Amino acid sequence: MTFWETITGSDLTREWKAFEARAQQLPAEYRSAWEQIKGNIFAYGDFTGRNLMPIADAALGLLEEASADGQPIQEVLGDDIPAFCAALAGGEGARTYRDRWREQLNRNVARKLGRLGG
Amino acid sequence: MGIQDVIEGKKQWRAHVARVKALPPDYQIVYKEMQKYLFKVGPIDLSEGRLLPDIVDFFEEGVASGKGVLQLIGPDVAAFCDDLIKGTRTYADVYQESFTANPGPTEK
Amino acid sequence: MDDLTEMLKGTLEGCVLEIIGGEETYGYAITRRLNELGFADVIEGTVYTILLRLERNGLVEVTKRPSEVGPPRKFYALNDAGRAELATFWAKWQYVSSRIDGLKEGRR
Repeated sequence: MTFWETITGSDLTREWKAFEARAQQLPAEYRSAWEQIKGNIFAYGDFTGRNLMPIADAALGLLEEASADGQPIQEVLGDDIPAFCAALAGGEGARTYRDRWREQLNRNVARKLGRLGG
Repeated sequence: MGIQDVIEGKKQWRAHVARVKALPPDYQIVYKEMQKYLFKVGPIDLSEGRLLPDIVDFFEEGVASGKGVLQLIGPDVAAFCDDLIKGTRTYADVYQESFTANPGPTEK
Repeated sequence: MDDLTEMLKGTLEGCVLEIIGGEETYGYAITRRLNELGFADVIEGTVYTILLRLERNGLVEVTKRPSEVGPPRKFYALNDAGRAELATFWAKWQYVSSRIDGLKEGRR
């Protein structure tokens, strides 16, 4: 049984539908990244999924913001989506990823502010 | 639910985005990069607190005082973000705790 | 004195509590006060993250008041929990500083 089929609570279904509606607004490469993220975060176990909602929501928010910025998807997620998802869920390698995100943040700020000045 | 509903519905989220857009370019750049970082790290204050609108409040005050954004928050933007959420739990923490608190799945 | 950042970590929160304890005040004024005291490296962003934590931990009452320049400002005042926290801070400070002074005196 897939995760999707295990969700029976109607409130959860409603929330997932809202997520899907948001995902439909994304450009194609972002949409396919969303599919991969879903697939990966639910590999995390056997549960109702309620705890994963905020994680999925934040990930979707990230995709929305990044696509609005016109950022290439690889720049946002890196090339290893499963590892990225493990980090989102606080699994193995989360700490390393957080360091990477930190560096990425400061690098992006420096680059974009530099462009602004020049 | 949802971070965007949290800021009480779509209308409020749009108002929030409009406030961000009204900031000077350097502030906008930093705000957007911070938001992306925070979405990844996932502090529960994103949905349970007013973290994002509060940051904009703070930035608006900085603009009014005539400071550049890095003068306001310092050059290490990531360190500033980490200070903002220091001592708070992340969604990942909550998720991980749900296993230790509840060994075995709890099907309703 | 330069480069006090590491050393100030952990005590800055107490300093901010003390300043707020004197009278209701806002972030920029707190920063200026710390700068005047000789902590020149303390920036508004740092004070802001401290204020956010104090608020989150329920140690302060926050009131928004209009400002002559720019958007409304958040003013902070200590509540009972904040006053208790401040007393704890001074007790800890007393303990640490007397022990460290003792260490230095023992040298002679």
